[in-house]
Amino acid sequence: MSVPTTGRTTPELTAWLSDRIALYLKRRPTEIDPAVPLAEYGFDSVAALSLCGDIEEDFDLILEPTVAWDYPNVRALAAHLAESLESEAAG
Amino acid sequence: MLIGSAATGPHEVSAGPGPYPPGGQEDRVVARIAELETRLGDPTDERGEVSYARLLEADERAELSEHGEQALDDLVLNADFVPHRLGGRLERIDTLVRVMRQVFRRDIALGLGYGVTSFMAAVNVWSSGTEEQRRRLAELLLDGRKVSVAYHELAHGNDFVRNEFQARPADGGYLLNGTKQVINNADRAAAWVLFSRTSPAPGSRSHSVVLADRAGLDQDRYRVLPRYDAVGVRGCHLSGLEFTDCPVPAAARVGEEGKGVELALRAFQITRSAIPGMALGATDTALRTVTGFALGRQLYRKSVMDIPHAKATLATTFLDLLICDSLSLAATRAVHVLPEETSVYAAAVKYLVPKMLTDAMYDLSIVLGARFYVREGEFGIFQKHVRDLPVLSLGHAGSAACQATIIPQLSRLARRSWFSDDPAPGSVFRPHEDLPDIPFERLSLASGRDGLSASLVAAVDELPSGSPEERAAHGAALRLMDELRQIQEQSLGLAPQDRTALASPATFALADRYAVLLAAASVIGVWQQAQGGSDTFLADPAWLAAALHRLGRRLGHSLPDLPASCENRLHDEVLARFHENRSYDLYNAPLAG
Repeated sequence: MSVPTTGRTTPELTAWLSDRIALYLKRRPTEIDPAVPLAEYGFDSVAALSLCGDIEEDFDLILEPTVAWDYPNVRALAAHLAESLESEAAG
Repeated sequence: MLIGSAATGPHEVSAGPGPYPPGGQEDRVVARIAELETRLGDPTDERGEVSYARLLEADERAELSEHGEQALDDLVLNADFVPHRLGGRLERIDTLVRVMRQVFRRDIALGLGYGVTSFMAAVNVWSSGTEEQRRRLAELLLDGRKVSVAYHELAHGNDFVRNEFQARPADGGYLLNGTKQVINNADRAAAWVLFSRTSPAPGSRSHSVVLADRAGLDQDRYRVLPRYDAVGVRGCHLSGLEFTDCPVPAAARVGEEGKGVELALRAFQITRSAIPGMALGATDTALRTVTGFALGRQLYRKSVMDIPHAKATLATTFLDLLICDSLSLAATRAVHVLPEETSVYAAAVKYLVPKMLTDAMYDLSIVLGARFYVREGEFGIFQKHVRDLPVLSLGHAGSAACQATIIPQLSRLARRSWFSDDPAPGSVFRPHEDLPDIPFERLSLASGRDGLSASLVAAVDELPSGSPEERAAHGAALRLMDELRQIQEQSLGLAPQDRTALASPATFALADRYAVLLAAASVIGVWQQAQGGSDTFLADPAWLAAALHRLGRRLGHSLPDLPASCENRLHDEVLARFHENRSYDLYNAPLAG
């Protein structure tokens, strides 16, 4: 179910993404360096598409299915997510 | 014999008003098929240049039939791969499938090696190329030249995001470096569509598609590698290409730099939905061959046709062809009508149809017995098709790769679409109806919508249950709807690691079950839309009941036995179409011979 989108800070989104991506990769969240491209951890294109669905579900936000390709690490993805949520809230 | 009147120009409407007048698409495809059948001739007549006997000889020599290629050149078959806007005949994907089916019924190698390779290459350019690239490619194809598509690097299989072949930006263009393997027509193509790494960074934004026009390349900077010897499609020119610092201009890049993966996945939606349906022609031939055998051979003082197992096998093979054609029809027409939803449908076709066709060949081989192993003579074409057909499950998307396309979409579909989406429009299931042009730009990597499954759900309330056949169909459909409910629950419960390319076997099985449901939905759609039409067989609930029953059993549903009338109806139809030389698919089309 979707959660309130307000008050989501970039650090919170970073933590959410690290947690979720760690599940995909069967690693600990602390092992995911926000600056390292996810593909280097073996995060494949199928998982990237799935992650997009997770974001959609948890944040009630529709993103391009290629979002994890264009923002290839946790830091970039968190920033993009924060921005999208903000413009969603504003719009 | 054949129906007459062949069209001469791309848009010439055949003489006389057809039963499907509006835009004339149906009349054009019917005329084109007739033209092909006339030119290629009766394949069982050994005197014919493109007969099974001659095709088998060419196969033994590991050559494509010269006369076959000549005939297709004369017919300018390449025009069927070029959109009509660019001077070709391509109007619809489902009609292209029907045309190519005539080639595939004779020789899969000829179908792939003459043409489909060029089509697969061209789709990248039609969907994402510049107007100039499109014109140039159309010109090459209409001139009878071939184009290769080179995605493959053996080391990386379907994981083409890991491909290493480089197009390194340099001097305003690119330098090609590396090797591509098992590329059809690499040796004789006028241009190659090369999937190339344009950035060393890992991930899915590091590749681009390059259209390398052979005429403009420095001949000292590339070479064609030796041909592969294969088990099947032995006539195909499968070889490799090796480039060393070979310059191509920036204008050779198709689409944006770094968008190659996305571009390829869009093009795949068209090729994956189309090609398996073409190959249906080969299993049609196999069924026809074995039917002829069963009618002629005496065993236990009876004809093989009187043996219940043999009779049932022929009927179920015909059923499989109808099921495969229904799914193929829905997926190819969805490209035009529901382009946003096509990614899963195309993957389902490429996954399920080759599998079902291959399994059907195996079942038929049991009826054929020892003759299945003979390479020549009346039944020789059977073993050739058996050897050639598996190539369809290889190529540009192996079965597992297709399931992997479906897997990440399951939970989203489960959440957003199943049991809530609107059913697909009826036109998706109407084989003879005109369609608008292919909206290449609307093909999407994932959409979260699925009108095909919604058609299945809606049908459960609509299907009649008067006759025993209708009740059998309705009962099977109810179970299929339950199955969708189960798939929905299991999809919602998938753990993240089961939504990656390394998902568990159970998740891959989920994708399999979903593909079977899409086939069932397509069958129901085709039957519903056939009501009140001119095809009394397609409107008959006998095949609907038998098809849903077969798909249900495939999913492990325990269903009551079908009324005997179902198999009898199918059996009679198998015989009638055998004697009248009409196709074992949704079209009941007249064939040469």
